[in-house]
This record gives sequence, structure tokens and C-alpha cells, in this order.
Amino acid sequence: MKRLLTTTAALTLAALAAQADELQLGLATAQTGGLAPYDAPVVEGIRIAVDEINAAGGIGGTTPIVLTEKDVRSDTAQTVIATQELVDGGAEVIVLPCDADPAIAAAAIVAEAMVPAISTCASSPTLPLIGGDYVFANFPGDNVQATVSATWAFQQGLTSAFILYSPDSQYTTMPLYFAEVMKSLGGEVLGEATYNMGQPDFSAIATQIAAMNPAPAVVMTSAYEPDFPTFLKALRAAGYAGQVIGSDGIDSPTTFSLGDVAEGVVFTTAGYATEGSPLAAFDALYEEKTGAASQTVFNAIGYDLVKVVEAAVIAAGSTEPQAIRDAMAGLENVQGATSLISYKGTDGMPVRQVSLVRIKGGQRELVGQPSPDPALIPAPRMQ
Amino acid sequence: MDLILQQTVNAIALGGTYALLALGLAVVFSIMGLINFAHGELMTIAGYVLMYCGLAGVPFVIGAPLAVIAAMLAAVAMERIAFRPVRNSSGATMLVTSFAVAMILQVLFQNLISARSQAVVIPDFLGQSIVIGGLVIGVNKLFAIVATLVMLVLLETFMSRQKHGIAMRAAAEDFAIARLMGIRANTVISAAFALSGLLAGVAAVLWVSQRASVDPLMGFTPVLKAFIAAILGGLGSLRGAVAGGFVLGFVEVFLAAFLPAEWQEFREPIGLSLVVLMLVVRPNGLIPAATLQAQKV
Repeated sequence: MKRLLTTTAALTLAALAAQADELQLGLATAQTGGLAPYDAPVVEGIRIAVDEINAAGGIGGTTPIVLTEKDVRSDTAQTVIATQELVDGGAEVIVLPCDADPAIAAAAIVAEAMVPAISTCASSPTLPLIGGDYVFANFPGDNVQATVSATWAFQQGLTSAFILYSPDSQYTTMPLYFAEVMKSLGGEVLGEATYNMGQPDFSAIATQIAAMNPAPAVVMTSAYEPDFPTFLKALRAAGYAGQVIGSDGIDSPTTFSLGDVAEGVVFTTAGYATEGSPLAAFDALYEEKTGAASQTVFNAIGYDLVKVVEAAVIAAGSTEPQAIRDAMAGLENVQGATSLISYKGTDGMPVRQVSLVRIKGGQRELVGQPSPDPALIPAPRMQ
Repeated sequence: MDLILQQTVNAIALGGTYALLALGLAVVFSIMGLINFAHGELMTIAGYVLMYCGLAGVPFVIGAPLAVIAAMLAAVAMERIAFRPVRNSSGATMLVTSFAVAMILQVLFQNLISARSQAVVIPDFLGQSIVIGGLVIGVNKLFAIVATLVMLVLLETFMSRQKHGIAMRAAAEDFAIARLMGIRANTVISAAFALSGLLAGVAAVLWVSQRASVDPLMGFTPVLKAFIAAILGGLGSLRGAVAGGFVLGFVEVFLAAFLPAEWQEFREPIGLSLVVLMLVVRPNGLIPAATLQAQKV
């Protein structure tokens, strides 16, 4: 009986808290496991943004954000459970993990509860398509990134390509978009190979690429750690000296400490801190708050996410989930740390800038921030 | 032809690493009847030691032996703390214990070090390659092949010449009788774990030098491969483990190299089907342990 009373009291308090003028932001993200290298820095950025907003009295000076965090351990089933718990606990906006697959798994729950959800950094353009009206992405789409990198390669005269992709996740199939764009530009795709995520050895594939005649001018992959360093080292050791193009997954400290083998690798990512840019300002804020320099753009992506939520709540004029969803779908030019972000006219995949970055001496070097030709961007590939 | 030779070198290097891993599992299994699924975490520990050595500016040539020693110490500690209390329990109890040890260590790495992958500084020369008779061979491939050969020769010498090695063989054959002959169970088992730690440490250095990073869950794939190789070779048989490791390495590399592009997606299932097929023909493994039915202590 006593337990029942306590539970009832707790639930009443929780309900009261939810009714008060504050935004319940529920995080179902991976703090451990394979997605943690991406989700963990995004959540750091989320916390910084939430602290900043709350210090100013909340969204619009009146609506503080209350964070509830749950670790989904990079596990799809756990993501579903955590999302259900957050919905039951009164979350008004939910943050889902970086990979499209667990995010899609949670989509049915948020759709049923009519609560908007936004993935930390999933970049598969299929996410909002499969996820439905309540699921939003927060990262430049795979097809957009591939268009930017393929166009750049083609313009550099690197017109023959080899792609390495993995059917294991949506994200790791990005090279298929690259191949599509390369072909529509008039370039050639000389070959392709697949790998399994976590594969210990890439020497067989590397030997094959190095032995190709004519050699491909560019090798493109969206493999990320630990696969990307393993592949790159094997590729260079096998004697391939051409251009290697990667994607945002390798925007991590591991890549920059690879030494000589990584020199000259070009990849697409969500932002680059030019002097005086909002990203440079965010990096300074990050260093001030944490005492360490930001090592990855994923910190800023978390900040962007909260800025989007803030703008949606202001536009909606309430914290009612349906109103926030509708407002979010119509957002235009929200100033984030990495870019201006718009959802208006899209299906939930944001329009935002893509940066092309080259690794030089273990540092980032900006190659460009080109706007891709919309006619070239491939349609999302359903698997 | 060149391509086949080149891929053979790749296969030997990968197979050698698998062989070391499988040997690590087999050494312990032959004596205790335990498949230590926390073997991969010994590799992770060695990886973290390499990482910290890199951060502290310790050269790789010193860092690598330190990493191997750390894996050995961790293996001995693992036996003392986790496996000794359940030594006389059923195989299932020991198996579950090894899973528990693996999970506890993974969570400790995630919470005490970092959930994220950490970069390991690998000397640049390991990323280079040399040309021998038209073959381009990566230095780290050569390094893997040489390390495997050295380890196999050392292990063979240890097992056939050294007192502890002979005691371990005796214990593997029949632990009860070996103990009656005056061999101390604790010493032999500790030595077996130290040996498996040594093998895990060397394999870890090879593994990490390929991927240049270490993360809390790094040990999962290698232990899985080692398990497959050990089963394929014949559980408990040291020569079998080596054979199993090399066969697995060859199967993986040659399928990746020569399977038609449209079949590549099914490379893993095809590889494992081949393993199953070999086990159908030789159910006790390629080189079964002579003492398959012996009483384990």
C-alpha cells in the first residue's frame, strides 16, 4: 500500500512537472556500444545548448528544457524500449540514435504517440521516408554528401572510381549514391567491393584494387572506424596511391592520428570552422565548458539539434508535441553551429551545408563548401 | 599468378593471427575444459596499454612488449579471481563465467576509459610496404608472419622441452594422473593462462597495428574467429588450433579475392558453410585432440 501511495505520488508529481511550462526532451541515444563514438559527442553538444538556453530562462526566456537521458547501448531493441519509456514519461520531443536502423525501429512508437523525434546524426535519406511524419534527421543526407564528393572528384579530373560499401547498414551504402552521381556526370565506375562491418582484414580487397589496370583514380567508401583505418592502411600497403574519399563517419580523432597513410584523404562532413563562423564560436564555447578542445563536428551537431528544437517550440508557441512537429516541418534557415538548417519543403531530411575537408598533416583543411546541383542528387534508395 | 601469390601472403598473415588467437583458447581448453570468451578482452587490455604507451611517448618497440606483458598478467589475474572459484564446476558454469568476465571488463573499459574508439600511435614503417620479387608485401604483414612463426617455434620448444610445458601436456592428457605424479594444479593452470595471455598479447599487437585504434568492444570479433578456428582445428588440440587458424584465414582471404562480385555479399555465410562442411567430414576437427574424452579438472 505504501509503495502504491509513493508511486501514485511520484506519478502525480511527474504529471504536474510535465504540465508546467517546460519542454521535456527525451534522449534515447547510445552512450555505449558501436554508435557511442557518434552519439556521445552529439549528446555533449546537446547538453551545452540546453545549459545555455536554460541559463537564459529557457526557450524564449520562459520554457526551460528538461533532459531525460537513456542509454540504448547501440541496440535496436533497447532503442525501442527506451523510446517507449520516454513517451510514457511524457517526453514532448525525442532524440534517437545516430544510425537510421534503430531510429526507424523507434519510429512506430513516436508516430503512435504523435511525438516528434529527431535522430542525432543519422544521414540516410530513407530515415524520414520510412520513419514517417514524426521522424526528422539532423545531418546532411548520404545522397547529398555523395553528390558533393563525386562532383568534386569529377571536377578534379578523377573520373574513374572504385567503391567499397557494406550492405550491413544504410549509412555504409553511401558509395552506391557516389557511383550513381559519378556515372551521371559521365565518369566511370571501374569496380565495387563489399565488406562486413567489423571485418578484421581488408588486404584481399586492397590487393585487388592495387592490381587493377587501369587503376581507379579515386576509391570511395563510407566505412568508418575501425573499418576505415584498417582498409586505408591495407590499401596504401598494397601500393594504391590514388585519391581516397570518405564521409562524415571518419570525422573523428582516430582518423587524424593515422599519420602518413591518411594524408590527402578527402571527406564530406557537416561543418568546418572557418574564422568567425558560428562553428568557431561553438568550438570556443565547448572549450570553455569542458576544458578541452572539440575533436569532432558531432559536438556541434548536438548543439544544432537543440537549436532546431528551440526554433520549433518558438514557432509553435507551445510545447504540445503535435504543434512542435508541425512547426519543425516548416522551419527555415535556423542558425545552427555548423550551418543554416531548413526543413520546409523536405520530407524531414534537413537542407544544410556540406563541407569537403582534406586531411593534411593530421589536421583538417577546407576544400570547399559547395552547393550540390539538385538535379544530380540521387533519389533515396530503399533497401 | 602474381595475384594468387599476393593473396596467399595476405592469407598467411591473417591465418597466422587467427592461429595465435585460436592457440590461446586451445591452451586453456586443453587443460581446464573452459572456452574463455574473455580472451578477446585480454587483447583489448593489450590494446589500451599500447594506446597509453603511445600517449606517454613510449616507443612502439617498448610499448609492444609491455602490452604483451599486461595481457599475460591480466590473464593470470583473471584465472585467480574469476575462474579458480569455479574450477570444479560444470563446463556451462565456466562458460557463463567467462561471458560475465568479458562483459564486466567491457563495461569497465567503457566507463573508466572511454566508450569511443581511441587512436593508437603506430609507427609509420608498419604502414609501408616492400617489394620482393614483384610481390608488394606490407611491412605489417611481414611482421605478422614473422611474429606468428616465432611464437609457434617458441611454443613448440616450450611444450616439448620445458618442464612446465611438459607438465601442461601431461595435464592436458589426464589431469588426475598428472596431479598424482606431483604436478601442482594451480601452477599448471596459471601457466596455461599466462601462455594464453602471451598469445593474446601478441595477437593484439598485430590486430591493433592493422586498425590503429582500440575500443571497449574490440575483443568480440577476434574471439569469435578464434572460436571458429579452434573448433575447426579440433577443440583442445594445439596443432589443430594452428591448422584451423590458417584454414580460416585462407578461406576468408580467397573468398574475398576470387568470389564473383555478385556473390561477395554472401562471402561470410559461404565461408562458414565451408567450415561446417569440413566439420561434417571431420566432426572432431582437422587434427583432433588425442585426449578428447579425458577427464577435465
